[in-house]
Amino acid sequence: MSLRVEQSLSQLLHEAFVSLRTLGKRSILALLGIVIGSSSVVALINIGHNAAVDAAMIFKDMGTDTLVVQFPAKGSNNVPMRTRLDLDAVRQAVPGIAHIGALTLFSGPIVFHGRTVNANFVGSTANIQHAMRLPLREGRFLSPFDANETYGVIGDQLAEALSAPGDPLQLGDRVRINDYLFLVVGILRDQPRAMLMPVQANESLFVPADGMRRIYATPQISNVIIRAAPDQDMERIAREAAIALSSQLTEHTVEIQVPQQMIDGMTRQSRTFAYLLLALGAISLVGGGVGVMNVMLMNVSERRREIGIRMALGARQRDIRNLFLLEAVTLTAVGALCGAVLGMTAAWLYAWLSGWQFSLAVAALPLGVGSTLLVGLFFGIYPAVSASRLQPVEALRDE
Amino acid sequence: MMTETPAHPGLISLQGIGKSYQLAGQHLPILNDVCLSIARGDSCGILGASGSGKSTLLNILGLLDLPNGGQYHFAGHDIFSASPDELAAIRNQQIGFVFQSFNLLPRLSALDNVALPLSYRGVSRHESVEQALRMLEQVGLAERAHHRPADLSGGQRQRVAIARALVGNPSVILADEPTGNLDSTTAQEIMDLLLALNREQQVTLIIVTHDSHIAERLERKILVRNGAVHEAGHP
Repeated sequence: MSLRVEQSLSQLLHEAFVSLRTLGKRSILALLGIVIGSSSVVALINIGHNAAVDAAMIFKDMGTDTLVVQFPAKGSNNVPMRTRLDLDAVRQAVPGIAHIGALTLFSGPIVFHGRTVNANFVGSTANIQHAMRLPLREGRFLSPFDANETYGVIGDQLAEALSAPGDPLQLGDRVRINDYLFLVVGILRDQPRAMLMPVQANESLFVPADGMRRIYATPQISNVIIRAAPDQDMERIAREAAIALSSQLTEHTVEIQVPQQMIDGMTRQSRTFAYLLLALGAISLVGGGVGVMNVMLMNVSERRREIGIRMALGARQRDIRNLFLLEAVTLTAVGALCGAVLGMTAAWLYAWLSGWQFSLAVAALPLGVGSTLLVGLFFGIYPAVSASRLQPVEALRDE
Repeated sequence: MMTETPAHPGLISLQGIGKSYQLAGQHLPILNDVCLSIARGDSCGILGASGSGKSTLLNILGLLDLPNGGQYHFAGHDIFSASPDELAAIRNQQIGFVFQSFNLLPRLSALDNVALPLSYRGVSRHESVEQALRMLEQVGLAERAHHRPADLSGGQRQRVAIARALVGNPSVILADEPTGNLDSTTAQEIMDLLLALNREQQVTLIIVTHDSHIAERLERKILVRNGAVHEAGHP
């Protein structure tokens, strides 16, 4: 009599097939528990991640990626600032600049249908729209081809102030500054006060920089606005841009303000969110893990008697282990995958409902699926193996 | 492993077997100094009142439980020195169990229940199904092969259990109150089936029962009383 035998492959496959076939009836609830556990981890981590991304956007909109350049005169001489700067040269010299534009500022009265309002006149290069984030309500912004035209783009509050009931200022209207009429080609959307900007767009009329001489005899560039590409070191860009601009100037120095306080605020906030995410992940892992653990423990303890019967019929410890391993792998794998799909869908739906941008959190899927698999496998196999270590009579005994 | 040691004649030999449990801090002796030997082809009844230890004796005989002390040789194997895997192999190849509550696996069909013991000895699926079907024919249930246990009557379930006990071609059938849950006519049929197997195939039959009618039909009657064993007809 030989006492060493292995279960044949065809028998193992048959057991797997039977457990799959009876899965629907026996463990639909177990599967549900696993799906919920896995999906909650995936969804929570991803929702937290999207919240962090959205909060970072707020700071970016406030201008943490924006640099404002000023040009104080050297010493006490009164040499006027230049009217032109080679901004393309700066852009080429400094990597990481997304948009760069120059401002020439003047202020004075503006007249429309006999109504006079004081306004800022901003001589702009075309790029200033993106550098200052100026969204349009109607029409278009100035383009490089408008350099010699008497076109203007008007701020929301200024347009409002020039309008009267029944006579709103519209696209195609002309406003007068001194003796020149400017055609309104665009109206900006109302926007909150920009903290760092030297001029408030709401109260301004943007005209081509080259046309400023019509309003003001000696126009000079007062500021350069630089907007960095995402995730750049603002200190470095400020340093390099200062060098590039200085080389074009003789009588003026270059002074660049880095919005350090805001950048520090953003860094602190992203750290806060990182901790929050960590807590969300840990709590959902524990919650989901305990759920999966319960499901698998129930599943095995219900079948203690079956383990006893199989042992009486000659199953060895490893036969019991293989059987439950096969079932736990099938059950947890199917459950974890369904949970990943469900969790991602939930996170996407939540982002959509709350108006956030959806982005995939890298850690969510491996954490959610991996923890479910580990917990499910451990609690699916461990109780079965410990039951198979008992004497068969103890496993057979009724509860 | 292949030879039967002459020093231990017979299929089953128990010397000075004792079994006790620790329950709530109390020492509970169940079996004391049990000596018993059973030869191939015997048919024995184990009789006794509830709590006398007859089920414990059967569990020890069937290697479902280990005694605390003594000597036990089964078909030449020393049970105390065997590993759990070797015990599982002996149960699988030498012993067929028939339980009072049938103990069929509810998820499996009658056929798969009968084929189950063969799967633990490396027989291929195809071959084990063939043998299981032959065994179901022998107990008269071939047409019910694909029914689940829940769809069978008590007598039919017990016949499936007997087919499962026999499919591995064991040398011993251990039955614990095999007719306890059945009506008298069905019980009669099950007993006829078991006795026919004993007679025709020389399968050793050990039946735990408290029914004296069943015991009457067996060659040997072993009485268990307060943890001690006496054989009727042996003073």
